[in-house]
Amino acid sequence: MIAASVRIESVTKRFSGHTAVNHLSMEIAAGGIFGLLGPNGAGKSTTIRLIMGILEPDEGKIVLFDSPHNSRKLSQRIGYLPEERGLYKKMKVLDHLIFLGETKGIGRADARRRAQAWLERLGVSDWALKKVEDLSKGMQQKVQFAGALLHEPELVILDEPFSGLDPVNAQVMKDIVVAIAAEGRTVLFSTHVMEQAERMCDHIAIIARGEMVVNGTVAQVKEDFGGRHVALGFTHDKARAANVLADRALIAHVDDYGASAELQMAEGADPEQLLAALVREGVGLRRFEVVEPSLHAIFIAKVGADAATAHAGVAA
Amino acid sequence: MKKIIAVIRREFVERVRTKAFVISTVLLPVFMVAMVLLPALMLSGGDRASRVAVVDASTTGLGQSVSHALESEKLGSGPNAKARYTVEVFAATSDDLTKVRDGLIAKTGFSSDKQKDGWNGVLVLTDDTLASGKLAYYGGNVGSLESMSKLQRAVSNALAGVRLGKSGVDADLVKRAMTPADMNTTKVSDGKLTGQSGQESFMIAYFMGFILYIAILIYGQQTMTSVIEEKTSRIMEVLTSSLTPFQMLLGKVLGVGLAGLAQMAIWGGTVFVLSSQRAPLAAIFGMSADAAQSFPIPSMAPGLLLVFLLYFALGFMLYGALYAAIGAMCNTIQETQQYAIFVTVFIIVGFFAVFALIKDPTGPLGVTMSYIPFFAPFTMPVRWSLTSVPPLELVVSLALMVVALLACVWLAARIYRTGILMYGKKPSWRELWRWIRA
Repeated sequence: MIAASVRIESVTKRFSGHTAVNHLSMEIAAGGIFGLLGPNGAGKSTTIRLIMGILEPDEGKIVLFDSPHNSRKLSQRIGYLPEERGLYKKMKVLDHLIFLGETKGIGRADARRRAQAWLERLGVSDWALKKVEDLSKGMQQKVQFAGALLHEPELVILDEPFSGLDPVNAQVMKDIVVAIAAEGRTVLFSTHVMEQAERMCDHIAIIARGEMVVNGTVAQVKEDFGGRHVALGFTHDKARAANVLADRALIAHVDDYGASAELQMAEGADPEQLLAALVREGVGLRRFEVVEPSLHAIFIAKVGADAATAHAGVAA
Repeated sequence: MKKIIAVIRREFVERVRTKAFVISTVLLPVFMVAMVLLPALMLSGGDRASRVAVVDASTTGLGQSVSHALESEKLGSGPNAKARYTVEVFAATSDDLTKVRDGLIAKTGFSSDKQKDGWNGVLVLTDDTLASGKLAYYGGNVGSLESMSKLQRAVSNALAGVRLGKSGVDADLVKRAMTPADMNTTKVSDGKLTGQSGQESFMIAYFMGFILYIAILIYGQQTMTSVIEEKTSRIMEVLTSSLTPFQMLLGKVLGVGLAGLAQMAIWGGTVFVLSSQRAPLAAIFGMSADAAQSFPIPSMAPGLLLVFLLYFALGFMLYGALYAAIGAMCNTIQETQQYAIFVTVFIIVGFFAVFALIKDPTGPLGVTMSYIPFFAPFTMPVRWSLTSVPPLELVVSLALMVVALLACVWLAARIYRTGILMYGKKPSWRELWRWIRA
């Protein structure tokens, strides 16, 4: 599978007054996990809806599986979990999943078998005959997740799949997403939780205000961002580090977490200099490590300024 | 096609499973049974034999004549019918009239288990009665108009007989002269007897109009609310990614329509069973078969049933598609009212036209309305039941309906396509026009 699952070619989508997606181009290769990152209102959901054919682009075009057909024609090959979760409240869980399977073109008996297997796998099989409205929000989300994956699509598109889930359920979902990718299928998911994307994704794209900011494999993005980064963990006398950390000749940027911090070294400065300075001041250190920049740091650095101007624009 | 069937099944099954559906399906037949039995029960209630005391204060023996006349009245018309009145005459003079009367009144108006030898009523005759026709009746059943008019008629007949007898007319002649007229009505259509009584054909026409009106209004609006529900629950986004607007629209209208049809079938079946079994049914409630017949349940000829079902299906889909489109345009039920009122007005006009048609089924109003697809579902079956409609008229009317249906579904699918994902703002008429053209 070399061909691209999704190819977005200079797509623009405008809503009355503002541009949600602005000449966006990207390619999602077949296989692996693709993370679509961006701050709130960056155009992630709009991009996904454009891919799903729910919205029509004003300019540009979107090609799925190198096929001339739109996503509705190809819906058997695509699974979709929208950001706005929605199920028929009065339907029984199992009936609902069967119906969702049928809308993807699976036969009734087959859909029933698969629905039962999925409910088993997600640990909600006891609820199969309950009405959707009797389920907790997290459980409803699992049911909808199962509905999106029931027909074993080769492209799975998940809009904010982990939002609103407790750690245990988020773990279950994560395992499933990873398993799908391991089978050679393609997963595209959007999120604004960087740690998650950093751990799971092979490839990421950060968009802000409808435009591409960063695009590439995680390793590539980090390399391109460049600079030398140091992670610190403090034990005691952190206050004494203040002077050292404020030294702009040594340190370009500090991301202070209280008990720990992530630093970007200034141009030409050495991590050894920093360590010597900290020891000299008598700061208690638990950790001193030269690291790759975290996706979080890249995100803040790339989007932060952008977001700030966006906010200023709104205020004005 | 498989997907449409899945949508139809979902709409049908989910609707039929709701409590509201089950309750309304069961309640209407119960209501119908009550409609059949209650009037019959009430009529038979007024038809009990009653004990009447006749106080005769006349000097001419009027009491004997009246009591004789009352005793010859029967309950029902068979040869073994029981006497309607048990009569006893109490003689009185103008002096002790008040005393005798009040003594009898004291034993009147009790239920029969409380006072076995009590009276249902006291009839007071004086000399004045024969001359001016004035007499008094005191009884527990004076509120029953039917009983009173029967009693009054019997007494009138007796008085007339006595007056005629006094003038020298033979008693048998009086009796023959007093035989009342008995009229049967039968409907004629285009010079042919239809075999329906006037009442029956009116019932059929009214019944069909009413069923269409209720079904289109209730189930049409249900398609609308169910679209709104899909929008508010945001399931629409999942559906649009795998179904075309046309599949969703058609599946929804057909599914809801089938649920409606199933309910109609249950109701129709109940009517059929009731009408064919009403005599045994009446017996269960201890009533005579005659009494049960007093509420006629018309039977539908197969041709009429076919025409009715055809127009029901077409009419329902036409209005269902319009209602679904309105649902797609709006976000809340409240918002829909502004648009739904236009559709509802068509339905109401169609329904009330039925009343005009019952009076004049062959007039220009009926013919014109049969050609207007929005009204044809109401007017055509009614005209078919009341007169014979030329086949060409039927074909043209049906063809126009099919064309209008296709146009409406096309229009609704266009609005649906854009509207189902529109949240928030309600579209203006101009925007709506853009959706349709897009």
